Amino acid sequence: MRLLLIEDYRPLQQSLMKGLREAGFAVDTTGDGKEGLWYAMGNEYDVIILDLMLPGMDGLEILKKIRTQGRKSHVLILTAKDTLQDRITGLDLGADDYLVKPFAYKELLARVRALLRRSYQQKNPRIKVKDLQIDLTSHRVWRGKEEIQLTPREYALLEYMAMRAGQTISRTDIWEHVYDFNSSASSNVVDVYIGYLRKKIERPDKSQLIHTVRGRGYILGAQS
Amino acid sequence: MTRSLRARLLIGIIAGIILLLTVFSLLIYGVIRSALVKQFDTSLASVTRMLAASVELDNNDIELEFEIQQMSEFQNIENPTYYQLWEPNDTVAAKSPLLDTDDLSRSEGPLDTLVLGASQDKNGQPQRTASLKFMPRIADSDDKNYRPPTNVQALTLVVARDAGDLYGQLRFLRWLLLIASAAVIALSFLTAAVIVRQGLLPLNSIAAEIATIKEDNLTARITAEHVPAEVVQIKNRLNELLSRLQASFNRERQFNADVAHELRTPLAGLRSTIEVTLTHTRDEDEYKSALSDCHAIVENMQTMVNNLLTLAKLDTQQIRFHTEQIQLAELVNSCWRPFSDRALKRKISFHNNIEPEITCESDRRNLSIVLSNILDNAVEYADEGGQIRTTARRTDDSVEVAASNTGCQLTGEQVSQIFDCFWRGDLSRSETGTHCGLGLALVQRLIKALGGHATAKLQPGGIFILRLIFPT
Repeated sequence: MRLLLIEDYRPLQQSLMKGLREAGFAVDTTGDGKEGLWYAMGNEYDVIILDLMLPGMDGLEILKKIRTQGRKSHVLILTAKDTLQDRITGLDLGADDYLVKPFAYKELLARVRALLRRSYQQKNPRIKVKDLQIDLTSHRVWRGKEEIQLTPREYALLEYMAMRAGQTISRTDIWEHVYDFNSSASSNVVDVYIGYLRKKIERPDKSQLIHTVRGRGYILGAQS
Repeated sequence: MTRSLRARLLIGIIAGIILLLTVFSLLIYGVIRSALVKQFDTSLASVTRMLAASVELDNNDIELEFEIQQMSEFQNIENPTYYQLWEPNDTVAAKSPLLDTDDLSRSEGPLDTLVLGASQDKNGQPQRTASLKFMPRIADSDDKNYRPPTNVQALTLVVARDAGDLYGQLRFLRWLLLIASAAVIALSFLTAAVIVRQGLLPLNSIAAEIATIKEDNLTARITAEHVPAEVVQIKNRLNELLSRLQASFNRERQFNADVAHELRTPLAGLRSTIEVTLTHTRDEDEYKSALSDCHAIVENMQTMVNNLLTLAKLDTQQIRFHTEQIQLAELVNSCWRPFSDRALKRKISFHNNIEPEITCESDRRNLSIVLSNILDNAVEYADEGGQIRTTARRTDDSVEVAASNTGCQLTGEQVSQIFDCFWRGDLSRSETGTHCGLGLALVQRLIKALGGHATAKLQPGGIFILRLIFPT
């Protein structure tokens, strides 16, 4: 899942970026309001974590612009302003959640996960595709009763595919939602990771989970 | 002086009325008294002159015309008039029969001058008297042998009339005036009490309104309508005071909100850095790096808390100053030391152009807080590869220290706001938390407390100059 973090206080920005990447998210960051807007308009982020007091452009202004341009990314406001009016203004302008600084990092993670489930209409934090089970909270994966160990990047790819299980997912979609600007840009990186994932989750004695749709992309689960 | 406005007004009004009534009563009494006495005396004088005119010297005999003696005045026992006539040698030439054996007291003025006065009769009854020294008329005679007396001497006539009625009338007048005054005072006391009470009612209504205004409801204003002009003044002044109070409370609230914001942001950074680090077991370098990040945040927070404390102490006047001789160039150098690394990283050069002999008498600790904040600000806002320069100038009783830096991107309007609390110049050039915008506010407050002032100026070419002028 791909996140955009717009936060100008560097220690917070850097630690959150590190934590979120370690949690398997593709994270782009910026400390400048205008740059943040430019990022948000140019990419289909799953969640945008937005500070309000920003140099260049105010957070609420960015939110307004994102929404008027029809961007569907979920927005989590992160701010030190905690008056009722601040929260109401933020939510009314189209924010999906609100977290007041200082906050517990685990709470931020939980809220981001909740927003992601909402994005993909997944109320259950445990996704089942045939006999494949994915726990969105603990990032653990099972095939039948056997637990499968995945690297964060592999997990991120599987999670995205599982959220859209049954749908054809293009390479561009995968690229946009699983990789951030920091990732090494290579056109076949998606295919390479699909290959890794197949090695780990496919079993010769069980039905195939990842299907290739020629010229279109991939499907996890039953071919529709 | 009594505290109640009502009592003061009442006392004032009543005292004024008493004073006026006394003056008017005395005036009226005096006028009436002098008129009555004058009327009495006029009558007495005419009787005296008539009597004197009726005295005739006939062959050295002094005679009073009989008709005159028989006049009712001299016969009236109720309200008697007496007369007595003396020859120069004190011999009584004639006197009213009513006097019997008594005598009037002899008094006289110059010849032919009527002298009026007051006296008492033998019973102590008040009298008014008129005395006249005159030359008696010499009787004519058809008799050829008549020879007018050769030695005519002036006689003295004293006429006294009972003045009991006159004084009785005056006494009555006195009582009348006294009672009337007392009645007027009593009535005006009641009237004034009612008027004062009515007049002060608008004050009561305003007081009731004021009582409803609490410290958490400073947006309320006194509305009291239909109040007199004087009270409108009070109302307006009070409303203005409330506005000022409200503005001050709002500033305070804003300040607190800003403080909270500025403390929350680094706290969030600290917490997030620690919590993210703790999510996994990491190698030593990662822990070291996290700890050093936390350390930098804590140092910034400490600076901010110190600045806040100093500001609070300045507000409550808890800061004491110890004046000593300070060598300015040396103080500036020691204040610069903590920033030299930061400046080096951004290739900023520092030129301390203060001549070593310039000294001042001031508080070293607080002056170094001021200078450190100014230098901190200069390093923060100078452009990469830019310059920071300090200069100083001494006059007889003051010192001017100036710090300038290149690369200022502020507008003139922004420069005028630079001393406001939590105002951060160009936000894109500073990060939240590292520079919380308290520094220059503190500079201004501290230099004011040291008896001086600070000014900020922008020169063409992006040169920002901050000047301190303080007494020494």
